[in-house]
Amino acid sequence: MLNEWLLALARWLDTHEWSTALHESLYMYAWIETTHVLTLMVFLGMLFMIDLRMLGLAFTEVPASKLADRLDRPMMLGFAVMVITGFLLYYAIPERTTQSIWFRIKVVLMIAAGINAFLFRAKMLAADGSWDEDRRAPKRMRVGAGLSLLLWAGVVVTGRSIAYDWFDCNKDLSYLMYWAAGCVDELARFE
Amino acid sequence: MDVYFFFEWLDNSFLATMSKAYGGVFAVVQMFHLLSLALLGGTVLLADLRLLGVMLRDVPSRVVVASTQRWFDVALIGSLLSGIFMSSAVALKLYYNEMFWAKMASFAIGLVFVYGIRRPLLAFDHATLSPWVLRLVAVTSLVIWFTVAASGRWIGFS
Repeated sequence: MLNEWLLALARWLDTHEWSTALHESLYMYAWIETTHVLTLMVFLGMLFMIDLRMLGLAFTEVPASKLADRLDRPMMLGFAVMVITGFLLYYAIPERTTQSIWFRIKVVLMIAAGINAFLFRAKMLAADGSWDEDRRAPKRMRVGAGLSLLLWAGVVVTGRSIAYDWFDCNKDLSYLMYWAAGCVDELARFE
Repeated sequence: MDVYFFFEWLDNSFLATMSKAYGGVFAVVQMFHLLSLALLGGTVLLADLRLLGVMLRDVPSRVVVASTQRWFDVALIGSLLSGIFMSSAVALKLYYNEMFWAKMASFAIGLVFVYGIRRPLLAFDHATLSPWVLRLVAVTSLVIWFTVAASGRWIGFS
């Protein structure tokens, strides 16, 4: 049901003139993708520093909440650019991306990373600077920071893998893979 | 000096056997390359924007520079090792790729700049250095590393 709906949305986007123009452009698509990748330095770079501070591996002389607060805005700025360019990349190739198992895992990982970030922030606000000067943050914060590093690493590898066609719907795959990638037409053949 | 022999050797090395045969291994190594890029770029941005007075203004620039240097080194080693592995998969193709050489040239400049100029200079008390020198160092560093990253991404398009 959901797969049919997502595919219908993708096919509708695919009929847009701008989607085709973006896909077939000589340089625009490459520039958007380059921006998407290079902005990793802004978004993930700042995130790494905050997480490494919590783990006691960087900026130990600077209070934890101070560093997190000062890096928050550039990090979110980078995130915004990644979301916008990411949407444009999806818009340029909607149908294939919708049925990409990598893209699907990436979205799930991003939701998990988002929940983790939300809990992390709540715990940090609740602590109200009580462990700010400590070299390492308390265990609950370190777990959150470690999870954040792992989840975002997963987002990077799945994101990069979208470009590979190993598990595209037009390949000869198992039922499980068709199901996971949401290959609507291929699944129908099993009915 | 022609370095073709190096690419030929790389193309026949066991690294190439692995990187060409296993797409999955290549993808994971590429992930490390991208994570290193994020870390390297992140440390460069943080330190340089601090020197320019844009970010972390209430933290001494000496502290920011010292904290980011170690992770810059980690990221550099990570990107170098993963980069050599990735190159082995397409070694002979890279030898004839202009963007690859643009990246290598800017990367070499970056290394000389960081270890030959930036670090020795910033080891001095920042208060004794002219603010314009600090700004110049920061801008130069940003331009160099952006060029390395952008030309690197463009290898795939060219």
